[in-house]
Amino acid sequence: MRRALFWFAVVIILVGFLWPIVWVYVTSLKSVADIFRPEKLVFSPTLYNYRYLVTVRPSIMEFRNALIITFASTALVMAVSLPAAYSFSRFNTGGGHLLFITISTRMFPGVVAALPFFFLFRNMGLLDTHIGLVLLYLYFNMSFATFLLYGFFREIPEELEHSAMVDGYSRLATFRKVIFPLIRPGAAVTTIFCLIWAWNEFFFAFLFTRRVARTVSVGLAVFWGSVEIQWGPMAAMMSLAILPTLAAAWFMQRFIIRGLTFGAVKG
Amino acid sequence: MAEVKVENLTKSYGRLVAVNDVSFSCKDGEFFTFLGPSGAGKTTTLELIAGIKKPDSGKIYIGDELVNELPPQERDVAMAFENYSLYPHFSVYENIAFPLKAPTRKEKLSSKEERKRVEEMANLLGIGELLDRRPQHLSGGQRQRVSLARAMVRRPRVYLLDEPIAHLDAKLKVAARTTLKRLATKLGTTIIYVTHDYKEALALSDRILILRAGLVEQIGTAEDVYLSPVTDFVARLIGDPPINLIDGELVSVDDKFLFKVNDEFSFEIQKEILEKAQRIARQENGKLKVRIGIRPVYVGVSEEKLSPNSFQLPVYAVEHEADSSIVTFELKDTFLIAKKNKKVNWGISDKVYLDFDQTHIHFFKKTLELSKR
Repeated sequence: MRRALFWFAVVIILVGFLWPIVWVYVTSLKSVADIFRPEKLVFSPTLYNYRYLVTVRPSIMEFRNALIITFASTALVMAVSLPAAYSFSRFNTGGGHLLFITISTRMFPGVVAALPFFFLFRNMGLLDTHIGLVLLYLYFNMSFATFLLYGFFREIPEELEHSAMVDGYSRLATFRKVIFPLIRPGAAVTTIFCLIWAWNEFFFAFLFTRRVARTVSVGLAVFWGSVEIQWGPMAAMMSLAILPTLAAAWFMQRFIIRGLTFGAVKG
Repeated sequence: MAEVKVENLTKSYGRLVAVNDVSFSCKDGEFFTFLGPSGAGKTTTLELIAGIKKPDSGKIYIGDELVNELPPQERDVAMAFENYSLYPHFSVYENIAFPLKAPTRKEKLSSKEERKRVEEMANLLGIGELLDRRPQHLSGGQRQRVSLARAMVRRPRVYLLDEPIAHLDAKLKVAARTTLKRLATKLGTTIIYVTHDYKEALALSDRILILRAGLVEQIGTAEDVYLSPVTDFVARLIGDPPINLIDGELVSVDDKFLFKVNDEFSFEIQKEILEKAQRIARQENGKLKVRIGIRPVYVGVSEEKLSPNSFQLPVYAVEHEADSSIVTFELKDTFLIAKKNKKVNWGISDKVYLDFDQTHIHFFKKTLELSKR
């Protein structure tokens, strides 16, 4: 009885999570006529919507932009956040105030930052550029990544570093040989969170780009025109846009499990 | 191998002075122990020598070299930590070999030599079978031995060992102590050892430095600190059951001097120790006050009056050990304990005679509050 209840709950949750995704994939394979007949469960699949993305309205640039911006911003975020979080956790840099200020950039709604950034970017000619969006994502992800990494660093006992230094290693060598291997699962989780966030981000991409640097998430909205909503091509593009995040989530889950056992390494 | 010299070392954490003007000099090849209760500044002193912490003032010499400004990796010391601090992502072998691979080491070992050194040390400490395991899969005793092996695999100028066997159970501790002493004798390198266990200190050390709230209380050999403690604190720290500390006054009656606690409890002070008693005694409200210390084994107890100096007290409790008895008497602010190497069967409140072996009486200034706990 208990098992039955358990599986019942699992099925409900799974359907709740998976149904929208299934709907998107099914719709992307339907012809225009079939899309508006959801009661018709058996239909002849077509790749028309995917061809549309290549020939009628090319979307390859949007994928390229999103890839560039996502990876560039995440690489920069990690380059800034790893040393920052390490220094916060070990040297209490800024006496706690600096860490708080860093985190506080995520405490107000994004819109608040949007306006000043918009005018700043307009004056500096950064609107609708890759570098502009990369800088914005750096600004937003850095605080989150620093905070997350700070927690991971704090879990590594300081004595390990002392021990390595007495064993004859400089601070840098200690970081490379002892700290980094231990922080790696945490750093991987953080990296993937940043990647997913940057890939999915819509609001700033929508405000700060027009054509040159337009990303996938903004591209999706373009199908929502004033005359009609092109469900088919939109679903096709969604199906493709979901794939990287699915892959990232699948990749991340083993690190999350590793991350959970992380506490056991102490002592 | 080198001597370690520390001059006027001071370190504070905020308002708390953890190490207060500590000076000592530890000879080449000596087994030197810091003994003291927790919070006495033992570990901090060790960390200052290792270079993990920076002193507020004072000088540290290793060999003849002033090392104050050197980072830990350049001081050529090895250290074992109280919580073992094993690298969780390395196997036992890699843990022990880690100091041998350090970039600051002058000679590079071939992987064959390295394996030989690691295995030699591991076998010596009885962990030769565990080299492929991860630290997470070891018991506490095994981790402690890995930590010792990692510290001792190198030949540094000085070994710093911070309570390396404190967390072992009693039986394992004795075995570990033996191994450690053998290792120390074999290596012949200077060792600075930290412990709060006086038995460890007495068993292992050439000399002992006793710390109290950051201050040096006494430096001396095991005999020195046991037989001639300079303060009541040192006396109390060493010995089990603890030394009896009794406050009283010196009273002169005719041409004799009495040590008097109250009307029932007083005895004559023999001439040999009188001079010392008078030197240490202090005027307090017109009375000449002094604190005596006498170890429980030197307190004779019996049913008959053995000497003119004997006095009578009622028994508070009798505890038995395998071949001896511990008899306790209640005083105003403390207990008086006698250890008799024979089983006795006295009941509570039985009056028995006590007799102090006066050659073993110490006189102290009061630096310690007495309590019945």
